[in-house]
Amino acid sequence: MRRREFGLAAASLGMAGLLPQREARAQSRAESLRILSQAGPNSFDPIGVGINRNAIQVHWNTYDRLVRFGTTRQPDGTLYYDYYEIEGELAESFEVADGGKTITFVLRPDASFHDGTPVTAEDVKWSLDRVVSNPIGRAQFSTGSMTSPDQFTVVDARTIRVTTPQADRFTLPNIAAAYPVIYNSKVAKQHATAADPWANEWLRTNVAGGGPYRLEAHTPGQSLTLSRFDAWKNGMLPGFRRILWQVVPNAQTRRSSLERGDADIVQDLPPQDVVSMAEAGRVRVVGVPMAGAFQFIGMNNSMAPFDNVKVRQAIAHALPYQQMFDAALFRRGRPLFGGQPGSPASIEFPQPLGYSTDAAKARALLAEAGFPNGFETTFSFELSLAPVAEPLSLLLQEALGRVGIRVTINKVPAGQLGTMLERKEVPFFFEGSAAYLNDPDYFFRIFYHGPTRWNFGTYRNAEFAALVDKTRYETDQATYERDIRRMITLAKEEVPIILLWQPALDTGMARNIDGYKYLFHRQLELRTLRRV
Amino acid sequence: MSFLLRRLAGVVPTLFGVVLVTFLLTRLLPGDPAVFFASSPTADATTIQAIRETLGLDQPLWRQFLLYLAALLRGDLGLSISTGQPVLRDLALRLPASAELTIAGFLLAASVSLPLGIAAALKPRSLVDHACRLVSTAGVSLPTFVTGLLLIYVFYYQAGIAPEPIGRIDPFATMPPDITGFLLLDTLFAADAEGFRSALAQLILPAATMAIFALAPLARMTRAAMLGALGSDFIRTARANGLRWRTIVVSYALRNALLPIVTTSGMVFSYMLGANVLVERVFAWPGVGSYALDSLLSLDYAPVQGFMLVMAFIFVLVNLLVDIAYAVIDPRTGLLDDA
Repeated sequence: MRRREFGLAAASLGMAGLLPQREARAQSRAESLRILSQAGPNSFDPIGVGINRNAIQVHWNTYDRLVRFGTTRQPDGTLYYDYYEIEGELAESFEVADGGKTITFVLRPDASFHDGTPVTAEDVKWSLDRVVSNPIGRAQFSTGSMTSPDQFTVVDARTIRVTTPQADRFTLPNIAAAYPVIYNSKVAKQHATAADPWANEWLRTNVAGGGPYRLEAHTPGQSLTLSRFDAWKNGMLPGFRRILWQVVPNAQTRRSSLERGDADIVQDLPPQDVVSMAEAGRVRVVGVPMAGAFQFIGMNNSMAPFDNVKVRQAIAHALPYQQMFDAALFRRGRPLFGGQPGSPASIEFPQPLGYSTDAAKARALLAEAGFPNGFETTFSFELSLAPVAEPLSLLLQEALGRVGIRVTINKVPAGQLGTMLERKEVPFFFEGSAAYLNDPDYFFRIFYHGPTRWNFGTYRNAEFAALVDKTRYETDQATYERDIRRMITLAKEEVPIILLWQPALDTGMARNIDGYKYLFHRQLELRTLRRV
Repeated sequence: MSFLLRRLAGVVPTLFGVVLVTFLLTRLLPGDPAVFFASSPTADATTIQAIRETLGLDQPLWRQFLLYLAALLRGDLGLSISTGQPVLRDLALRLPASAELTIAGFLLAASVSLPLGIAAALKPRSLVDHACRLVSTAGVSLPTFVTGLLLIYVFYYQAGIAPEPIGRIDPFATMPPDITGFLLLDTLFAADAEGFRSALAQLILPAATMAIFALAPLARMTRAAMLGALGSDFIRTARANGLRWRTIVVSYALRNALLPIVTTSGMVFSYMLGANVLVERVFAWPGVGSYALDSLLSLDYAPVQGFMLVMAFIFVLVNLLVDIAYAVIDPRTGLLDDA
């Protein structure tokens, strides 16, 4: 038999394994998705100490949750999660009752874990109990009024009820977010010990779930392989059979691999590369402004001279926003500068604070504040943000110099600014952060309130603090909106921090990849991706 | 033999010093790991305290050190938070990758720089000498990531001859069974010709990048040492006695010039093994250098300590080998009684 005839015969007999390796490989290549990112996961468990954001990309796709956020479309057609629309994932249906104090979830009858065992209410209870039994999990879940295992009750094999002391807008979003994955509790319990009752040790390096993908192989810091779980019932079967995710620390290397057609999706692209990639046009670059994410100029409101509101306003008028946006961010994002001062147009937050560049006004405000000749201060940023912060700080230094404020730039080694902020010892700085839940009061509660480092301005205002407490469980929409409007007005007037922009999440992909969806956690949703 | 034992015994206090210094240095870093790892905005002071206790950072420093020593004696280097793996496992996985790249780069550099240096010394101010100067100046002044990116741009991006510069083997190839950790050897043991070709192809560009960097000190040192040796009285005597040119160059000049070359080689090799972070980054090579740097940046103490300990051990080992090489090359050192 000749080689070609043999190939034909082999194929017709379904003996694909005997095909020449190259053809078999090409076939599997089409059904495989190759992802390159800057770093890999350091855990497969969503809850634990020091878990990085890349870990989400694994547990989001290998586990299911009870519910998930719905889908909307961006003007350019990109899929985007819908925070205000929650739909069932493992739950076939759910019902909110008792004035919002109980939520009852009914599981799909046919859902199973990767090992084939059905998903039961017991598994769900164990998984939710596990979240509130961990200090980090409890800190997050308490933002949705869930703090104790008593609040999760098994009604029958397919029904589970969550009870909260009061109706809470954040209960359902918390259940749809990254932490409460549903574990295969029978498997996990086998690996629990007396010292480690929730199998933290084992779940960190193993997956016991029922999500659309199962973990095939993992070489820490190098690569990770996922294969599709073909019996997945909680949505449309994903388009790729196999996911090969590799860690490539250098952005130029990731980029050249994508442009050469060897990689399908490239994450963590610096803004300047994104701009030139889009210009070259060989691949598609999707940039989505990140909901809840923001970068800002922080000022320590408890430290002179930033305790003076006029000083803060003066700085807000002195900053060269447009130049910063062009030169530091390459316009990859949504501006949060400019806008109109006074009463806000919407209750969405973050939103522009109503300050535009006006050096004369800045000088006048400084004089009113008692600093006609300006003052000296230090501006800090962390080196991990250097690509954006470096040009930004130079522009800031120059512009503030023009109104008399002499700025020394302090570059902080990566990983250390957090500690300095926790101790509240930084007067003036550049930082970024993000809220996972979109309600404006949630944003204010974390970033404009309380003693933690996340209150970046160390903002203390009795009226504002009272409103933060008041809006927590507010159920009347009109009252809620009125209170939020007042809070936004205060945030605009008193500028505890100066919002700059919402950076975009830029992802490069081959032209034949479709179904990219932006999610609140900024990692890839593999459920919707396919090759066209 | 007693020389070897003495040298080995001297390793113990050195390593203890390294353990102490790395422990103290990492604790002196201004960042607080508990704050760093409590990176979720919902983390409050109690969460941070709970994390501090989990990490054992609430203990007094001397107790932390004793616990660390006890763990070390059990062969436990601790757990890396940033990779989620035991440090020992991480290092065992990454050290062979670094070693394979370094050895390949070093052999490549040595095979070019030694003949080049010798030729340059034999004919000073000739074309070869100028070539030697040019190569070493270029090697010193081009940062490795520039050379690496340049090679990638030319051979992968433009010409398409080189494979994708990511990792140690084709991503869709199956990995050979792990025997030595050196892919070139493991694929040979597994009689996997395609794997071997793939691993070799992946190795060429990063090894060339490393070699260009290592060329300069080796070539300069060879040239200088050979010039010195060739100008000595004993060479003139040998010439006057009409010995063969080959014998003069190889047996008399080169053997005497080898001492400084071996010393430099030892230093260059150790340096290449631990400090090639940029090459590892550019080629996504899973080596120990970038591992240590990433850990340092994320305030992850255990891997940094483990890395420094292992590197110190390798440095000591390389120095020992250099000393033995001395004794073999030059009996006058008196280091080995029977050499």
